[in-house]
Amino acid sequence: MPLWVDRRAERRGKLFGLAATILLTCGLSGALAPPAAADSNQCAPAGINSATVLPKDLIATGPGTQGNYTTATAPPLSSVNVGALGLGTPGVLTVGTLSDAPPSTCINAAGQFTGFDDELLRAVAGKLGLQVRFVGTDFAGLLAQVASRRFDVGSSSITATQARRLTVAFTNGYDFGYFSLVVPPGSAIKDFGDLAAGQRIGVVQGTVQEAYVVDTLHLQPVKYPDFATVYANLLTRQIDAWVAPANQAAGAIRPGDPATIVGHTYSINEFVAYAVAKDNQPLVDALNSGLDAVIADGTWANLYTQWVPRTLPPGWKPGSKAAPAPTLPDLAAIAASQHRKPVGPAAPKSTLAQLRDSFFNWDMYRQAVPTLFSTGLPNTLILTSSASVVGLTLGMALAVAGISRSRWLRWPARVYTDIFRGLPEVVIILIIGLGIGPLVSGLTQNNPYPLGIAALGLMAAAYIGEILRSGIQSVDPGQLEASRALGFSYSATMRLVVVPQGIRRVLPALVNQFIALLKASALVYFLGLIAQQRELFQVGRDLNAQTGNLSPLVAAGLFYLILTVPLTHLVNYIDGRLRRGRAAVEPEADSDLLTSRFGQEMT
Amino acid sequence: MTADTAGRASVSLAANGIHQTLGGTAVLRGVDIEAPAGNTVSVIGPSGSGKSTLLRTLNRLHEPDSGDILLDGRSVLRDDPDQLRQRMGMVFQHFNLFPHRSVLDNVALAPRKLRRLSADAARDLALTQLDRVGLKHKAGVRPATLSGGQQQRVAIARALAMAPQVMLFDEATSALDPEMIKGVLELIADLGADGMTMVVVTHEMGFARSASDAVVFMDQGKVVESGPPEQIFDAAETERLQRFLSQVL
Repeated sequence: MPLWVDRRAERRGKLFGLAATILLTCGLSGALAPPAAADSNQCAPAGINSATVLPKDLIATGPGTQGNYTTATAPPLSSVNVGALGLGTPGVLTVGTLSDAPPSTCINAAGQFTGFDDELLRAVAGKLGLQVRFVGTDFAGLLAQVASRRFDVGSSSITATQARRLTVAFTNGYDFGYFSLVVPPGSAIKDFGDLAAGQRIGVVQGTVQEAYVVDTLHLQPVKYPDFATVYANLLTRQIDAWVAPANQAAGAIRPGDPATIVGHTYSINEFVAYAVAKDNQPLVDALNSGLDAVIADGTWANLYTQWVPRTLPPGWKPGSKAAPAPTLPDLAAIAASQHRKPVGPAAPKSTLAQLRDSFFNWDMYRQAVPTLFSTGLPNTLILTSSASVVGLTLGMALAVAGISRSRWLRWPARVYTDIFRGLPEVVIILIIGLGIGPLVSGLTQNNPYPLGIAALGLMAAAYIGEILRSGIQSVDPGQLEASRALGFSYSATMRLVVVPQGIRRVLPALVNQFIALLKASALVYFLGLIAQQRELFQVGRDLNAQTGNLSPLVAAGLFYLILTVPLTHLVNYIDGRLRRGRAAVEPEADSDLLTSRFGQEMT
Repeated sequence: MTADTAGRASVSLAANGIHQTLGGTAVLRGVDIEAPAGNTVSVIGPSGSGKSTLLRTLNRLHEPDSGDILLDGRSVLRDDPDQLRQRMGMVFQHFNLFPHRSVLDNVALAPRKLRRLSADAARDLALTQLDRVGLKHKAGVRPATLSGGQQQRVAIARALAMAPQVMLFDEATSALDPEMIKGVLELIADLGADGMTMVVVTHEMGFARSASDAVVFMDQGKVVESGPPEQIFDAAETERLQRFLSQVL
């Protein structure tokens, strides 16, 4: 039976190809990984020994003013009525933050949100007797989500600018902000004055750095969604310079990285503060009280020293004007004693070593895989399968409406399909998550999953509807006629005869759609996820931000491949089988089994 | 055993003055046809004469524009069409078996869903009907693995499983290989002999002559001539029927 042998061989060939794909990727990474070299963890307190002195050029620019916005005093803690703070969940402070901006805000190896800003807020909330729930989101959407009360507080080194005060209210300052200019070594750019049109200047979208480049320098920056991405682009020379918040610049650059800080500048004289919805003055007051309290008891100084030790600009102090000045160790002396070399190309690595370390760091894989497996994988599967159910259900309705004789069914289906098939996935996610989210926050408890699933499902439905419609329409009209002639109604005919045949024909296309959905599930990170909700991509990205290494993303990519490659091969198998037809006559017993098992299912 | 497995007796079927327009074309232009209870009426005529449309109008797969359809002497145009079709079996030129279901399921599906038989009862009924058409041993396979003749037998069993009072055949042997035709025609003739009321659209003049109680000759949407087979085949009155017969015989 040569045919049989051929098919077996073919199948074995496919299996081999599949295994080879996985093995090759894993093997490469294993072979290239350097011997266990622990990477520096960027999401941990750097400690007092990393203290720095404010750059001279910064001070020369002039002292920051705390302006008219710093309150004279803060109400005493005892006067705060915790029940009247307008919190989304009573007793819990829901905080929108970034998972990838160490040392200000980040997720650590234990999956906890931490960093100077978040730890300080935890302490402030402790003074108020509130629990804190951190939710990771993306900076561009953070203030809008605070304004719409998706989050009670926004915490991510937010500089309290005039423009932002139109959207949200701010607490008193707890840190001061200045920018660093980061360039590759040997760059012609030596200071902010050297920046010019035609250079690619990287910033994170929606930050004060972007506003600075556009409004003050009158240049057009290249915008990125997060710090890790800008920095990765700088390392690979995709951009000429990065205008970065000083904390993030100092945190990102590791010894040996091809990047140097060449200049500093002040933000436009505004301090760093927590953002609160504009109409929620009680919460602003309460946070100001808590802030003064943690300054008074030394917590602020302690956290500041651990996470972001650098000398304070003259005349600046955190909290209200009445808050005591924090007592800090002599950071300038410590910095001097450390003889810290300016961060820069201390030991330049070869390009190959740089690549190998970026992509195939075995330690990173060991760190990433358990979290990817325990957190990312289940969440990705939950998102994908739930969205598939939504997409299939709605898609079936769209398909049936699309072939209906009534134009009142046909037209809405047509319009829906055109809209949702025509919009980029990101746009749908953002519109539904940020636009519809606040309207249904009572229902969803501000959990982004229902909205993310809805957005993905609505999007998938447009494609699935078209796939099913083409499948249904490809079924021989004689099938409909025969079923109607037996006495089945139109709907029973569709359900029992036409749709099952239609679906079989488009099974490969449906599996492809499922793969697309699996990949699109990464987009829910736009909606803000608490640590336990992160799916594969977000877990990889956070570890990437935490370590400055791309290997966690590569590891996340491997998980996607492990999920999608078998599906791709399944499609090919189904496709081939549909094309060749069934393999000869089946044994009767087998078929009887099928009858009894599936006979009732379609009822 | 008769076709009447559910205890329904065969009844008469008649259509009076049927007009039917499809896609702007007048396909049927005042057709009268009558099949008394237990009779077999064969409908012959050139392609495009409206034979198949007439058949689909009888069970209201097409709703007639005007005219009346009488089952057992009573107009059925106000009945629920799904209920009506359960009383009228139909067999198609291209079989139209459900390819995604086994032969057994093809036959058992309608009794189970429409006659509300239990799965076991529907299965027994289906096996009985398959036995009757000589295909009980193929119950477990998919229709695609059967020959054309076998598929048409299954299609007949599928229609009979609903215990219809009338059977309609639409060129049931036109798509079959020559060696398959005879067996299927014998099966249809046996059904008629058992007392089923049948309207048979066919190109098989031998069958029309030997197995029919009456033959109807249609052309251009009208009944041109009708009568007992001997009269139609041996004493054609109209020139059009004579010309048709000279071409097909």
